[in-house]
Amino acid sequence: MKRIAQAAVLLATAALALSTTLIWRTWTTPTIGEAEKQLQSRQRLAVLPEASYDNHPLDTPLPTPDAQLAHSRIVSAYRATLAGTPAAVVLITQAQGYAGPIVLTIAITPDGRLLGSQVVEQQESPGLGGRLADPQVHWLTQFANRSLGDHWALKRDQGDFDQLAGATVTSRAVIEALQDALRYFDEHRHALLEGFPHE
Amino acid sequence: MNRDYVLVAALAPLLGTTQTLPMAAVMGGCAVLMVGLHQALLMPLRNRLHGAAYVLASLLILAGLASCLQLALRAWLLPMALLLGPYPALLCLTCLAMDRLLPEAGRWRSLLLHLGGLLAAYLVLGACRQGLGVQLANLAPGALLLLGLLLALYNHLRPGPAHPRRQGKP
Repeated sequence: MKRIAQAAVLLATAALALSTTLIWRTWTTPTIGEAEKQLQSRQRLAVLPEASYDNHPLDTPLPTPDAQLAHSRIVSAYRATLAGTPAAVVLITQAQGYAGPIVLTIAITPDGRLLGSQVVEQQESPGLGGRLADPQVHWLTQFANRSLGDHWALKRDQGDFDQLAGATVTSRAVIEALQDALRYFDEHRHALLEGFPHE
Repeated sequence: MNRDYVLVAALAPLLGTTQTLPMAAVMGGCAVLMVGLHQALLMPLRNRLHGAAYVLASLLILAGLASCLQLALRAWLLPMALLLGPYPALLCLTCLAMDRLLPEAGRWRSLLLHLGGLLAAYLVLGACRQGLGVQLANLAPGALLLLGLLLALYNHLRPGPAHPRRQGKP
């Protein structure tokens, strides 16, 4: 008799826990979707200086033909405009880092200079390559205003740029991805600046 | 084996999520909420279930609570939820350790006291790791060292002879 009572209480507990979780999930799903969308747009547009554009770039993704580059892959492209004229092109690109893929947002001005770059996703070693995404380490800012005419390599490879200490693979991967993106912009300049977005 | 060793299981979420003070504060709040709700929900079951059935019920409740907590964090604190990763779910370990260690007599008073201590540990560790600005303090091993130092400081500053339990002796 006692065993049956225990089993009944246990069953009731299980049913209650499961149903509460399911109801909670149904109730929070729309909010989570909204939050994810907002976060994604904030992450992807954070490279652009505020007030430098007045459209909603993420609503009109541009076509990206030949997206596979030498060291990276263009995931998507967006055009930011101010008063109807192109202000910048934002490329989302994915490169192979030391521990996994690194996803970068790269903003390029219409005259082919790098406006800025930020990390969206990375799984590099904490304390070494992971410092790439650390807001207190301004490693990515050294690339601002650079264009294809610079030597895109680490100083140890006779280039122009400092590396993240202890993270040569990560540093090389990022530099190559940035150079790839600038080259891609150069080759597809017309389509990216004036072409029509996806319908 | 000393019963207090199950507390080691509760270290993972504490060390893994106190890199900055906001993270530590959110995690501390979650810990208090989880342990409090877990104990409150187990109260009516304590006299009805025994042995394995009690443990199973406790685990079922924890599974539900942890799922709801993860969903709530994603819905209303998404950037924080991404920073915290899987650690909020690991708070289940803290709950299980608490459930085992709380005495039968004066359970609620003891629970409040320990929850206060746990929250304080989260906040102090978070503040120290953020404030120190040392690279080592940012990583989990540094956090363990820092926690040891903080406990030593606590034992040193506390008036009266230290209870043997706080010296790690059974």
